[in-house]
Amino acid sequence: MEREFTCIMCPKGCLIKVEYEGTDIKNIKGDECPKGKEYVKNEITNPLRVFTGSVLVGNGDFSLVSVKTPSPIPKKYLKKIGEITRRIKVEAPIAISQVLASNLLGNNIDLIATRKIKKKISLSY
Amino acid sequence: MQEKEVIIIGGGAAGLAAAVACEQKGIKNVLIIERGNYLGGILQQCIHDGFGLEKFNTSLAGPEYAQRYIDQVKEKEIPFLLNSMVVSLTPQKEVTVINNNGYTHYQAKVIILAMGCRERTRGAIGIPGARPSGIYTAGVAQELINLKNYMVGEKIVVLGSGDIGLIMARRLSLEGAEVIMVAEKLPYSSGLPRNINQCLYDFDIPLLLSHTVVDIKGNGRLSEVTIAQLGKRGGIIPQGRRKIACDTLLLSVGLIPENELSREAGIVLDNITGGPQVDERGQTSIPGIFACGNVLQVHDIVDNVSLEAEYILEGVAEYLKGKLTKEQEINVELGEGLRYVVPQRLISRKDTIFSFRVNQPGRKKILLFEEGRRLIKKKSLRRVNPAEMVRIKLSSREVEGIKTLKVRLV
Repeated sequence: MEREFTCIMCPKGCLIKVEYEGTDIKNIKGDECPKGKEYVKNEITNPLRVFTGSVLVGNGDFSLVSVKTPSPIPKKYLKKIGEITRRIKVEAPIAISQVLASNLLGNNIDLIATRKIKKKISLSY
Repeated sequence: MQEKEVIIIGGGAAGLAAAVACEQKGIKNVLIIERGNYLGGILQQCIHDGFGLEKFNTSLAGPEYAQRYIDQVKEKEIPFLLNSMVVSLTPQKEVTVINNNGYTHYQAKVIILAMGCRERTRGAIGIPGARPSGIYTAGVAQELINLKNYMVGEKIVVLGSGDIGLIMARRLSLEGAEVIMVAEKLPYSSGLPRNINQCLYDFDIPLLLSHTVVDIKGNGRLSEVTIAQLGKRGGIIPQGRRKIACDTLLLSVGLIPENELSREAGIVLDNITGGPQVDERGQTSIPGIFACGNVLQVHDIVDNVSLEAEYILEGVAEYLKGKLTKEQEINVELGEGLRYVVPQRLISRKDTIFSFRVNQPGRKKILLFEEGRRLIKKKSLRRVNPAEMVRIKLSSREVEGIKTLKVRLV
């Protein structure tokens, strides 16, 4: 089988032409760095993506904290993780890289914070 | 009147990187002036990842990228003002700021313009039809969803394939909305190929090239848009019209550098980039006023904004030491195949980074730098795309003694 892939590993977006059978790469062209080959290998076996989204925060200086999965997860789980992030709520303060949810979908998928959230300062006059 | 060595207008990606670079150059008495109530600018609402691959060799979310710079600004105790609007900038580098303390006047030796850009709106592209609610620019929708916790709609059409529009198509899908399509007026996408792949194809969102919105209906809230196909010369094909029921229209139709202050100060702007015309050190037509980031030219990658800010600091440091001298000024002439080039002129013959955008997508192109008929440098480009800025360095040796410079793409 022959297919073209646009690599998503960096903004270069290399157009990679691949000839493969099943999960066996026979011929690969256009990959300008090793990341490209790895990306294509994953695409034809188990496509992986980093999930990014946001989670509601209680008592924070922002009402949402942005989150991501620390490593790429199977693409098929993206929407399910999206649904979960809409239901959970965490409390300020939050540090960057703090784990906000773990082992989601029983698949070792964690969510970590990508924004620092301070506690809301309540002003009393 | 307070005196400052350097005033940086804008506390986003460009301003923060410029401030940190000032510190690294040993420049003291710097002030960042930010209009919003937090540092980091647009990065704070760009919660997707992919930032920092070049600068930090890792993939970061926007707020993480911003925080790396904010931490340095705080650690180095570089002063900054929030909720503070620069209302006036003079050619003598006097700055007037308004905030909760009232008016403050500053006199700076150097001004760094880092005001970024804003989005083109419905008014700018003149879509006819009713004026219901439910029409947002993509960046405003991004701010509402990612920072303010407001969902913008349920059935969404995106007009324009700029990167923010593509990113928002994915974001809205993950938040449970139905993104019906992305329509793009041009026969090619104006976003990065990787974003077409991971934001549209991953979510089965169709991209309709050579299509645009020609009518809007809705009483109170948007209820329907009419999409039309465009012919080769950009005219509407009458039989290519169709009506699409939706409650939200997102516009991702281009960005405009915010140069009202620059214009007021009398800085000469470039008609194509919308930013100031600069020399190889990022210095505008007014000596001592420099520009970097999206206010100079709209970038597609934040890493390049940071690199540009660091790069112009060489010139800022030279200027403060009285060493930024005009040797011989020449204009950089723009030849075929290119939309623009930055810098627009050279005043010395130092190592220079040139930034370009091409006119249209292409394969196997060659970029030529020439002095008359003499070839100075050539660079082969495997693929070119208007969505991707090209940056190329000429060394001081290569530009030594040149009297003219022309760049073109063949």
